[in-house]
Amino acid sequence: MSALLRILGLPALFLSKVPGLGSVIRALSTSVGQKLLMATSGLSLVDFLIVHLGGNLQLYAGEEVFNAYAAKLHSLGPLLAIAEIGLFSMFALHIGLAVSTAAMNSTARASSYAMKQTKQGLFVLPSGGASNWMMVTGLLIFVFLVSHILDMKLKKGFGVSYPPAAADAGDATNAFQNVKAVLQHPPHAILYFVCLIALGIHLSHGIRSALQTFGLNHKNWNFILRWTGFLLAWAIAGGFISVVAWALAVKN
Amino acid sequence: MSSDTLNLTLRVWRQAGPDKPGGFCDYQLEGVSTHMSFLEMLDVLNEKLIAAGDEPVAFDHDCREGICGMCSLMINGQAHGPDRGTTTCQLHMRRFASGETITIEPWRASPFPVVRDLVVNRSAFDRIIQSGGFVSVNTGNAPDGNCIPVPGHRQEIAMDAAACIGCGACVAACKNASAMLFVSAKVSQLSILPQGQPERAGRVLNMVAQMDKEGFGSCTNTSECEAACPAEISVSHIARLNREYMKALIFADR
Repeated sequence: MSALLRILGLPALFLSKVPGLGSVIRALSTSVGQKLLMATSGLSLVDFLIVHLGGNLQLYAGEEVFNAYAAKLHSLGPLLAIAEIGLFSMFALHIGLAVSTAAMNSTARASSYAMKQTKQGLFVLPSGGASNWMMVTGLLIFVFLVSHILDMKLKKGFGVSYPPAAADAGDATNAFQNVKAVLQHPPHAILYFVCLIALGIHLSHGIRSALQTFGLNHKNWNFILRWTGFLLAWAIAGGFISVVAWALAVKN
Repeated sequence: MSSDTLNLTLRVWRQAGPDKPGGFCDYQLEGVSTHMSFLEMLDVLNEKLIAAGDEPVAFDHDCREGICGMCSLMINGQAHGPDRGTTTCQLHMRRFASGETITIEPWRASPFPVVRDLVVNRSAFDRIIQSGGFVSVNTGNAPDGNCIPVPGHRQEIAMDAAACIGCGACVAACKNASAMLFVSAKVSQLSILPQGQPERAGRVLNMVAQMDKEGFGSCTNTSECEAACPAEISVSHIARLNREYMKALIFADR
């Protein structure tokens, strides 16, 4: 565990040696600093999901609208590449911090209790609320991410028969049919459905937790913040799940 | 109130020393009065063990009225037992049923090594306090109580944070063995009051650094600490610590 922590700490160690960055990097390397970075990267990824969902929902407007949207997105060229690098680094930061936090926490509780109970009520899941499932749901989201890039971006989804692309027709031309091809493949539909439920659980703790990390906790606001976090989480997950359901419902 | 007695099976963690292997021992205790506190029940067990020539169970306790923060048992997987807002010494045996098996464990966290049986070393908390949980004032005559104006509601918030007795239940209950509720209470109580202002930025940075150095886990906002805290410290103090930390990071003049 300590070896793992040391490896994960290498980027921070390297950056802390850069003149002018040292003190800030050191302050962001503490447990509270890592929380701030976790919350920042998490909320950035939520922003990305909202934009992504906005794109996906255009599927409902039909083949032409969606393909035009896809073509426009791909015509951004270098801007899209920069956005993808930003997105990748947010994922890397979020996952790296999750592993580092988990390692830190399992070191802190080296021997576990023979019996453990809680005084908290209103649990929606076995063995605790969504906060106890962040690692499991996070792993499922990672599996989804890998599969999703293979399926949609690289068009190498296992067992998916993509519609034949016209030679040199580029990436975006068949976007609408590609989405349907992937989602109408039953194993993929099941995988996507399960992982998107995991996304909803993950966000239902994540959004509220990020706000708490940024210090947003006030008795006048807590009710609104809690429900906004919860509803936003399931609105995002539900929006994506609706796309999976739509693909299974529509005729070819 | 009935004066029933209970027959209990106690599953107690026994460990001869910090580096010795530990394990559970089962004890039968009969005729336990429901009016006893949990610690009095352990006193009875120890009397029985001593009479039989066995080693008594070591456990921490001092005031036995819920204000010192010494008692510390994990009772059936709950820090200070099943009730909210109480310490182990305030827990009474009427809360249990006859024939029940009660599992008693020490706090489990790497920064709280077991000293013996159910006693853990909580010096890590003292070192965190030493790193910033104080105000520097010139000694001399006590100043007039009203010469530093503090609004009533600010006093109340500071007092809510200051209610922390430093027992370590937050660490014990947290799945990450994080000390954030303790540290946030100590940071909060001083950051709210005028006397705490000169050392405000340094305090939060130093206390967080010391907390990490002691090897406590990282807070993942599960609120388990708040539910387990006998002084009912709110996680809103953790949010305040986070704000203090961000402010210190950006604005600290050092």
